[in-house]
Amino acid sequence: MADVGDEGSAVSEPLDLVRLLIDEVVCVKLRGDRELKGRLHAYDSHCNLVLGDVEETIYVVDDEDDDDEIKAHCEQEIRDVVCDSVVLISPQSRSH
Amino acid sequence: MSFFGFDTARHNPAATGFSQTHNPFAGLSNEANEGEALDFEETYDGLGDQLDETDDAFNDDTFGGGSGVVSKTVGQDFDFFGQTAKVANAIEEEAVRFSRQLPAIKVAQAATQSAIKVAQSATQSATRSAVQSFANASGAASSYGYAAQPISQPARSGYEKYSQEPVGELQVDAALWGVAPKKHPPPPYAAAPAPAQAAAPASAPAGRKILSLEEVEAQMRAQAKKPAAPSPAPQPQAQPQVQQQVQYDPGYQYLQHAQPQNVAHPEHSRPREAPQHPGHGHPVPVTILQRPQSRHTPTAQSSAQPVPHQQPISHQRQQPSGTVQPTQILQNPSRLSGDAAKIGIPSHPTPPMSHPTQPVHRQQGSFSRHPHMIIHPSQLGQLSEEDKAAYLDQEAKRAKRNHKIFQMSRDNGIMTPQDKNFITRIQLQQLVAATGNPNEHSTDESISEDFYYQTYLFQTGSRQGGMRRHNRGPENHMQRMEQQVQRAVEAAKNKPKNKQLVIEGSLGKISFSNAKTPKPLLNIKRNDSAEVHRPGSAHRPVHVHGTDKRSELRSIESVYSTLMKMEDHERHMPPAPTGDADPEAIQRMNDWASEAQALNHKLWVALRVHDRPDSNGVHPFIALLSYNKGKRAMQRIFRHSTQEQRTTILTLIVVNLDNLDVVRNAQVATGDMQLNAAMRENVELFSATVMATLFTFMNELELDLVAGVLGLICTRNVDIIAKSRIGASMLTMILSRAEILKHSARGSEQAWRSWDATYTQFFNLLEPTLPYVFPGTVNTGDDVYVWQLLAAIGIGASPEQQSRLVLAVKDRVMDTVALSKTLPQDLAAQRLQNVNLFMRSIGLDVDLLD
Repeated sequence: MADVGDEGSAVSEPLDLVRLLIDEVVCVKLRGDRELKGRLHAYDSHCNLVLGDVEETIYVVDDEDDDDEIKAHCEQEIRDVVCDSVVLISPQSRSH
Repeated sequence: MSFFGFDTARHNPAATGFSQTHNPFAGLSNEANEGEALDFEETYDGLGDQLDETDDAFNDDTFGGGSGVVSKTVGQDFDFFGQTAKVANAIEEEAVRFSRQLPAIKVAQAATQSAIKVAQSATQSATRSAVQSFANASGAASSYGYAAQPISQPARSGYEKYSQEPVGELQVDAALWGVAPKKHPPPPYAAAPAPAQAAAPASAPAGRKILSLEEVEAQMRAQAKKPAAPSPAPQPQAQPQVQQQVQYDPGYQYLQHAQPQNVAHPEHSRPREAPQHPGHGHPVPVTILQRPQSRHTPTAQSSAQPVPHQQPISHQRQQPSGTVQPTQILQNPSRLSGDAAKIGIPSHPTPPMSHPTQPVHRQQGSFSRHPHMIIHPSQLGQLSEEDKAAYLDQEAKRAKRNHKIFQMSRDNGIMTPQDKNFITRIQLQQLVAATGNPNEHSTDESISEDFYYQTYLFQTGSRQGGMRRHNRGPENHMQRMEQQVQRAVEAAKNKPKNKQLVIEGSLGKISFSNAKTPKPLLNIKRNDSAEVHRPGSAHRPVHVHGTDKRSELRSIESVYSTLMKMEDHERHMPPAPTGDADPEAIQRMNDWASEAQALNHKLWVALRVHDRPDSNGVHPFIALLSYNKGKRAMQRIFRHSTQEQRTTILTLIVVNLDNLDVVRNAQVATGDMQLNAAMRENVELFSATVMATLFTFMNELELDLVAGVLGLICTRNVDIIAKSRIGASMLTMILSRAEILKHSARGSEQAWRSWDATYTQFFNLLEPTLPYVFPGTVNTGDDVYVWQLLAAIGIGASPEQQSRLVLAVKDRVMDTVALSKTLPQDLAAQRLQNVNLFMRSIGLDVDLLD
């Protein structure tokens, strides 16, 4: 494991972890009860994102109903996400 | 029934005195009867037998209090008799004393007797008013009722306290505290000398002796026979009696009346009365006991005394002061040593007269006693000033201590032993309950021994069961106490067994505590067998097989960043040095080369080519190729790698060809089943990136390396490799390179021989798989790469191998040709052209099949 020392240099700040997700399928949670699932093409230090092959899901949260209802579901080739709406970025398990 | 405790059977019911006045003593105390020998039995009409004792309703009738009907004479007679009776007591005392001094007896008795007369006549008016005023003030039927009780036990009771209420100076009789019952007897005898001295100071030194009843009676008789001759000395004796009646409540008087009756009998009915009441000689000391108190009261209340006898009183007070005091000390030596409280205010004004009685001593405590010590001539003489001061100091300490003891012992004797037993049992019961013996929950037991339950039963009057058990006596108490102690001990023994209470579903245990083992706050059960899961330590083992995605991603990122640096570094490559004349340029070039070398090394490390395969046999570098970005990086990697590195990579990929995800997970299906989109995409990407890179690199390889690669493939699972598009492409690539080399006539004879051997081995391995390398059915199409592979194989094959090859794929060829006839022109041409790739490689043509 000669590269162990280099592993540490690869991740020196939180967004380095996001870098590992580049070209990977990620789930992005946005404000306004929206979720994106797509391949991460690019990001910047503000967490502005560029996703490809995006599935966007908008939930309607009903207090009376326990289950969230999917209001809209759309797919886009490319989706730019402005940083201030990003709540969470999580990797998606590899699917082959 | 006897109201006063004497025999009523002998009284004459027909006697007149009582019926007229309702006062049983009226006849006795009547002036008209004075001087006569009064037979008490004749005067008693037995009305006392008819008294209703259950209530106090007739007490007024009986004693003349609070009733307007009762005339003045009633009160007068009443008091008179009491007074007389007390004087009679005094007479008896004196008789006791004087009996020891025979020469003085006659004179003293005469004096005493005369004192009675004088007192009677002199105090009539004062007594009358005093009694009536008191009766009005108290109005107390209750006091009468209360006073009736002590007759049965006249020795000690509550009236001392009662009597003190009007008298500020007096305090509680110490005898009530039960502190020193043994010291009580002295007071009567100690007090006795006082009156004796007052009456006849000459007789003070006389020894005291308890006379027998006969002696007393004899003296009484002698007294009665001698008419009284007034003398100045006895007069003061009467004075206290008057005041006593003034001061004391009816209860007290009543006692005085009741007892003097017995004493007075010898005086009035000497012949019969005394023998008839032999037991009544005993109360005499009791009466004397109370007398000193009453005698004491005048000293404080002298202003309230009747005028006529003021002077004698003062005389009496002054006279004994010198003589009485030493006697006091003499009389109380034992008590003085025990009762250390002799200190106090030296200037206490209490005159010596206040000390004659033991009760007074006790009540006044240190204050009243101190004068003793100072006044005592002998002690004073012996003490120097310093000693005196030290002594006073010591006495103060002792007084303090004594006071404390007094405070603490105030309630001594309130509880009987049975009470104590009961309380102890209750406490034991609680102890048993607290220790929680679970076996002892018989409600009957616990209830019957509960204090409040008992109290409740007692109040409701239904405590028969309990009472019966209670009345079984102290033995029963002791028994039950022992039982309870046993139970408590047992409970204590059992207790440690359940030191903790574990409530189901709770986090911890509830612990009981006691003094020895304090309660631990929370005892959380730690499961020792359970593995401690710590993120740091558990992470590595779990991912030991190399599917550590994060590390792979990190490696890829590292590869990319290194590649970017290398590409950047490449752009900064200094111009090649023109010659030796430019050492700086050479130096720059060297620096640049070393830097490029470092970057190359970094890249090589990041590629993990030399890492060992993980437990699953997947090499880290192959794992990197499973990522699309890893695949994409391949072209750039090759560009910045040395030839050796590239060869290593190629070898590594070929060796792990059947382990590539795009090979292993992209096997051709026999049916219509298609690969999923993601895998097709991966395969496509791999072909476009890695295979293209490798193809480029392969086209530069020499025959020996190509033969080597083919040899490596033969060591792997050729079946799996051939049935995947990537694998097939790889095979085609290798075989094509060899064919190209053959056409170009390169390579040594030996290399070619090696190649032929390898190829034969490979063909033998591949032949069984050949019918199954086509993807899908004939209709699926998309099988051009297979025809290419077959063509590559066919070109290099021997004629014998070519015939085997044709046999293996003949069905697919025929099906495709047949299918092409049904397809549109262009599609059919396409398919036939693909087949022709193979057919022509072996010197045939599809057209021949028609």
